[in-house]
Amino acid sequence: MKKGISIISVICFLAITSSLFAQDKQDNISPGRKQAIDSLALEKVRDLSKYISIIGDKKTQWSEAQRVIERAMELFMENSEIGVSSLSRPDVTNYKIRAYFDRLMQLNYDRVNIDWYKIQYVSDLERQPDGTYVGVITIYQRFQGFDKEKGLIYEDTTKKDITVYVKRKETQIGGRLIGFWDVLLGDIRVKETSK
Amino acid sequence: MHMSEICNKVKTIQWQHFLFILLIAAVTIGSDGCKTTGKLSKKERKAQIENAKSQLTPIINGTSSKSLEQQQKIVTDIKAKNFKDPQLDEMISQAQEVLKKAFADRDMQKQQKIDSARAELLDMLLNKDNKSADELAKELAVIKALNLGDKEINDLIAKVEQKIAGMRNKPNVPLKNQLENAFQGIADAGKSGNSVQASTLIKSTLGLFSFDDVPVMIIIYREGNSPPDYDKPTTIKRYLNFVMDQKVSRNAVDNYSLDSDGKIKELELIKK
Repeated sequence: MKKGISIISVICFLAITSSLFAQDKQDNISPGRKQAIDSLALEKVRDLSKYISIIGDKKTQWSEAQRVIERAMELFMENSEIGVSSLSRPDVTNYKIRAYFDRLMQLNYDRVNIDWYKIQYVSDLERQPDGTYVGVITIYQRFQGFDKEKGLIYEDTTKKDITVYVKRKETQIGGRLIGFWDVLLGDIRVKETSK
Repeated sequence: MHMSEICNKVKTIQWQHFLFILLIAAVTIGSDGCKTTGKLSKKERKAQIENAKSQLTPIINGTSSKSLEQQQKIVTDIKAKNFKDPQLDEMISQAQEVLKKAFADRDMQKQQKIDSARAELLDMLLNKDNKSADELAKELAVIKALNLGDKEINDLIAKVEQKIAGMRNKPNVPLKNQLENAFQGIADAGKSGNSVQASTLIKSTLGLFSFDDVPVMIIIYREGNSPPDYDKPTTIKRYLNFVMDQKVSRNAVDNYSLDSDGKIKELELIKK
């Protein structure tokens, strides 16, 4: 009986050890490689900021804005939301990404400037049990709305947190198996809004 | 009337008669000689058969200096005369067999030449050895001199000629540089808000590619001999629009592969 229990213990030990070893092997990403992945995710956020500028720009033609919206949508996970705040009200409204972009196109200003800056990680990419790396990037958004006659009529600065998901995937291209890092943005939450 | 005069007169009359009779005889004989019976005399038939055999012999032996088409005509003409000579008929069969094989050999040789020329022309389009326009033109002249009369070969020749003309018109800028210059130009046009210029550049750059959906892979990290890490693959049209939208060209050309028309069918970029 004792012998049986000890064999089971050894098997369990080996199973746990091999599982931990496998996990460790997958986690074994060199610092250089990790940095490249971090940079890739930051770059996607910067890409989004440019897309938002184009969509919000009143000079952008409707068809061109639609094309850019489609490209911006591809950066997000399905059903992601983005928070919108205003100095004139205390609450934050969360919109689905598509609704946010449509609203951005129709803002009631003659000219709009939207700039994102101080784009940086507040929470490093961490590997989750399913192999996805999840992190949080914070950005500051400077919004300015202009009227044709009155000039600048509204401006604010909003700090927003963006959850980023990075997962390694594979695809076939020209008969070759290509390993790539798929970066997707999740919800964008308003952290604070100031003048 | 003197005797001598009478004699002379008689003589004259006889001479005219003689001439008249001779003329009649000549006409009669002549008309008989020209009469066609539609049949050859045995002697003539034999001579023609011998002549036909002597024409067929070099064809059968493969020693004729005439072209295959001329030889074929000789055999056809001889056969049409239908001499019904067993030996000649046998020779006609042999000659036809020889010509059939010769035509087949010639077709095969031509096909081999076409295959070889096709391979050479495709190589010239790819120009992996980075040959100059003059070198390509020299090689092309050799292929053109073969005068293969094949549509596919003629099309390829036209493409190579186009490529050579393109090389001569353009300063010899490597494709990598052409691409990177185009990316920068599109980014600059995007930055200055010149969407017309950006669109024109995008259109002309797409001309370097097999099609708008050519895959573009962007290397984000490469370590030793391990396979590189990529960003999510995109297409060239999307990438060029991306460069215009982002107003910056962040990637350099790392590698590309070309199709048989010398256009890019796959592109690998790398972070600068």
